[in-house]
Amino acid sequence: MDYLLHILVMVTLFVILATSFNLLIGFSGLFALSHAAFFGIGAYVTAILATKYGVAFPLTLFASVGFTAIIGMLVALPALRIGGDYLVIVTLALQVIVITVILNWNSVTGGTDGIRGIPHIAIFGSNLDSAAKMLPLSALVSAISVWIAWRLAHSPFGRSLRAMRENEAATQAVGKDVVAMKVQVFAFSAGLAAVAGSLFAHYISFVSAESFPFDLTIYMLAMVILGGTGNLAGSVLGAVLLVALPELLKFVALPPDVADKLRNVLYGLTLILILRARPQGLLPERASASAAAGETVPLAAVPIGLAPGTAGQVSITGRTLSKSFGGIAAVRNFDIELRRGEIVGLIGPNGAGKTTAFNLLTGFLKPDNGGVNFGSRLLTRLKPHQIVRAGVARSFQDLKLFRNMTALENVLVALPRQSGENLLYAYFAPWKVAREEKENIGKALAILRFVKLGEKAGERAGNLAYAEQKLLVIARLLATGAEVLLFDEPLSGLDPNTLEEIFPVVRELARQGKTICIIEHNLDVIRGLCNRVVFLDEGTKIAEGTPDALIHDPQLAARYFK
Amino acid sequence: MSQSFGLNEANGKSNDSPTHLAAAGLSAGYGDEPVVRGIDLAIRKGEVLLVLGHNGAGKTTLMRALFGLLRPTQGKVTYLGADITGRTPAQNVRDGIAFVPQGHGIFPTLRVQTNLELGAFVADKHLTGERLATVYELFPILKERADQIGGTLSGGQQQMLAIGMALMHAPQVLLLDEPSIGLAPNLVDRVMQSVRIINQRFGTTIVMVEQSVKYGLPIADRVAVLKTGRKIYDGDPAPLHDRVELMKLY
Amino acid sequence: MEAGSLLLQLLVNGLINGSHYALLGIGFGFIFAPTKITHFAYGPVYAIGAYATWAAATMLALPLALAIPLGIVVCALAGVASYLFLYRAFVERGSTPLVILIASLGLFIVLENLIGIVFGTDTKVVPDAPSNVILLGPIVFTSLQAAQVVCLGLVSAALYAFLAFTRYGKAVMAMTDNLEMARIVGIDTARVSLVAFAIGSAISAVPAILILLKEGATPHMGFTAVFMGFVAMIIGGIGSLRGAVLGGLALGIIENAGMWKIPTEWQSVIAFVALFLVLVFKPTGLFGTKARR
Repeated sequence: MDYLLHILVMVTLFVILATSFNLLIGFSGLFALSHAAFFGIGAYVTAILATKYGVAFPLTLFASVGFTAIIGMLVALPALRIGGDYLVIVTLALQVIVITVILNWNSVTGGTDGIRGIPHIAIFGSNLDSAAKMLPLSALVSAISVWIAWRLAHSPFGRSLRAMRENEAATQAVGKDVVAMKVQVFAFSAGLAAVAGSLFAHYISFVSAESFPFDLTIYMLAMVILGGTGNLAGSVLGAVLLVALPELLKFVALPPDVADKLRNVLYGLTLILILRARPQGLLPERASASAAAGETVPLAAVPIGLAPGTAGQVSITGRTLSKSFGGIAAVRNFDIELRRGEIVGLIGPNGAGKTTAFNLLTGFLKPDNGGVNFGSRLLTRLKPHQIVRAGVARSFQDLKLFRNMTALENVLVALPRQSGENLLYAYFAPWKVAREEKENIGKALAILRFVKLGEKAGERAGNLAYAEQKLLVIARLLATGAEVLLFDEPLSGLDPNTLEEIFPVVRELARQGKTICIIEHNLDVIRGLCNRVVFLDEGTKIAEGTPDALIHDPQLAARYFK
Repeated sequence: MSQSFGLNEANGKSNDSPTHLAAAGLSAGYGDEPVVRGIDLAIRKGEVLLVLGHNGAGKTTLMRALFGLLRPTQGKVTYLGADITGRTPAQNVRDGIAFVPQGHGIFPTLRVQTNLELGAFVADKHLTGERLATVYELFPILKERADQIGGTLSGGQQQMLAIGMALMHAPQVLLLDEPSIGLAPNLVDRVMQSVRIINQRFGTTIVMVEQSVKYGLPIADRVAVLKTGRKIYDGDPAPLHDRVELMKLY
Repeated sequence: MEAGSLLLQLLVNGLINGSHYALLGIGFGFIFAPTKITHFAYGPVYAIGAYATWAAATMLALPLALAIPLGIVVCALAGVASYLFLYRAFVERGSTPLVILIASLGLFIVLENLIGIVFGTDTKVVPDAPSNVILLGPIVFTSLQAAQVVCLGLVSAALYAFLAFTRYGKAVMAMTDNLEMARIVGIDTARVSLVAFAIGSAISAVPAILILLKEGATPHMGFTAVFMGFVAMIIGGIGSLRGAVLGGLALGIIENAGMWKIPTEWQSVIAFVALFLVLVFKPTGLFGTKARR
């Protein structure tokens, strides 16, 4: 009986570890291999505080969480700038360093002997010195931890995380600070792992380096993958299955060390087999419930209105912008001025530097020379997400939709100033976040209807037809609320009927005071939409004027149509 | 149909030239949604076929499916009458199909000459020298730059190198994916001239994808236009010289 | 010992340890660069090389001259098998690098524990491993340590010749540079991947056997190997043989030079500080030319 209860306590701890690990690898796409190290740091902080300084639970737990969260942020920092395999190696290095420190800093960590005699948790006058007494507390703390992870994953912040996982550049292009998001999710994930570590130290009352090997991270990874990445219920299931089932091996007569190893072999095989047979896991990631909720939400007015009477004002100016790549100039001394209420076409042959010009205006590239002004602000020094927040947003030629999210979510992510992206609100004012979320769903649905995608709100973006995806790109850009909208070939590949439907949309945006610039090849679009056209060739502005004047200019026709 | 139709029947491209490479009911894409849907396309031996279409029309996907880089979800690809659906690029290259991908289809950290030698990877070793001479004759600048690292060439030179690499195994069919991309107009002219010369001198069948009309049209024998994954025009280039006609199509 | 000769000794030690890391880095990089597979199971496959040699030398009582080549061959076969039976299916299906990395972690833990089950967890040593102490002026080292440096020289020369003069070598370079273009020019990338796994694993067997002779083999020896190989490759710059060699040597020398002032047990921490600095200030690696894709 006691043995069974012990297994249950271990299940509660691994539920915390697996769900917090899923926040990193499943929801954020950050592949870190340091979860055993975070667990270990949490356990050792508690062990040291409890044995050497007489600190008691729950202070030990809070200290463990705080310290480990800081370590999590620090270790993430160098890797955040580069990502990918580098994150793997940096987090692996953390694992090695933690073990090295534990083994060598004898005076504090007890070296290879570990730390013994960690006091059990004493609470309400009861000393939790058995599995039976520990279980209610560990189950409660585990439930709270899962709730914390769940809140994070299912808040607007979590939605932005999934967007970042799908496409980092596009997430920046809708105004999200991806570095800040990564640092926060690292802190939370590491902190939650430390919760498990702290409970573990009090419960077992002994810690040593051997309890936190690299293999333990693979064990947790198997739980997350088996359960399903991006689904917290899956991680709970994965933890239950992988802690409980291998215990059946105990009933086979095997020497204990062989049984342990056999168990590890089984984890490894589970991992490989699940990747082969069902890579999405037992409980695959589900589309957010918000699409369904949307149907009961009152529809908002399309939130595109600006202060009237500003049409014609200069809104954004690029001066003498230059950029070269490897000695070849992509854009040279490019001047551009866009005004409110105006639709400007940016045309020119392939490779003329049109997209580079957009990248320079929106901070995705830093100009070698020249600057960009928006109102009284100099944009050149700002990061892309800051520029979007200031009011200048762009779309991408290759769409960069968040393909595994619904159309509605694609638009929701892009809405600015969501209080639910601030985790303080997500935890301490959930009612405010929920109310605002309802309004935002209304806004997002209105925007989707505005681009004639209302019917497709619950559809996965990757499943939409090409023309619908292009419409979704427009919707997402609109949702940023930016005043200046830079469209990179928004209409190519659409048939004339669809174009006829979109033209009024774009004109209406301009009428309401948006500043619009469109890269386009199709002359019908240019003629049908643009007030003014800028012709770019070999990185330089060749001409500027009304569409008709430019299209009938024989010299330009020779360049463009030849 | 057999491969014995000589290499030098350069100008024998009439409507009764045999079909060289063909797609029948071809659909292909990435993930769940097909990008090209049910395309029928017969490329005749010795012709220059221009495939036009906007971004996202499925031109690149079509080329990748023809070449074997992408497995079709439906339909088949035939080469000289034989079904080659689902074969690897390595097999297709051996049979005489070459592909020049969009952008810089080179090995950027390797020397120009190494790039060209790699282009002849599947060819008989003793023929490499001869072919190298042919490519250098066609693109003298590559000979001058033989020891330079590929990635340090200018955009136009890289495109010539990419085409040169494809020629190294003396292909019967050359698939070119937007060779004009990122090039200044005068360079585009050079590249187009080379394509024309390759077609005429070696009788190579050419399938060229372009997004803008102006570049490819002058050298095309036939034009196919794709739109949202389907073929909407297939035939004589002449009517398309009229801008109004073309705009109706696009 | 006076400061000058101490520093010299530390440099020599750095060169010796660095040769070990460089060999690990070359082997790991030789697989990673062309296939783009983060082959985590490189660690236990390396351990298989050591255990195979140990089994041949002690259980079969073969002379080392036979046991060592046998160990190298077994190691190469284990590498080939891991590609054939694990990675190939994922590559063909077009799985993301992340999925393949997770699969390799699965294989890592399977192989590591199988080794433990088959051979037990005690340290396996070859009883009469040859090792003499060599004195060169104020410098002391063993013949095995010298062998380590010599092996690095031989392996990198052989590899250089392979890359420069053979058809498969060219194919490996092509794949390293641009995997898609390699397919386009007609290289059978699956077959070249097999060759890369065979050679990379065979290379890893060399440091594995040297460790076996010096310190003995344990089931967990693979973790350090794959980790240090990975680090040496990153520090040196991915896709460059020269980079992996210099990266490994730099790692060894930094570690040992640091010991001039810092106690031995903190040696590994010094290396990681170096890793962090490289990642922050020169993410393409000290000797690399190209950014990661």
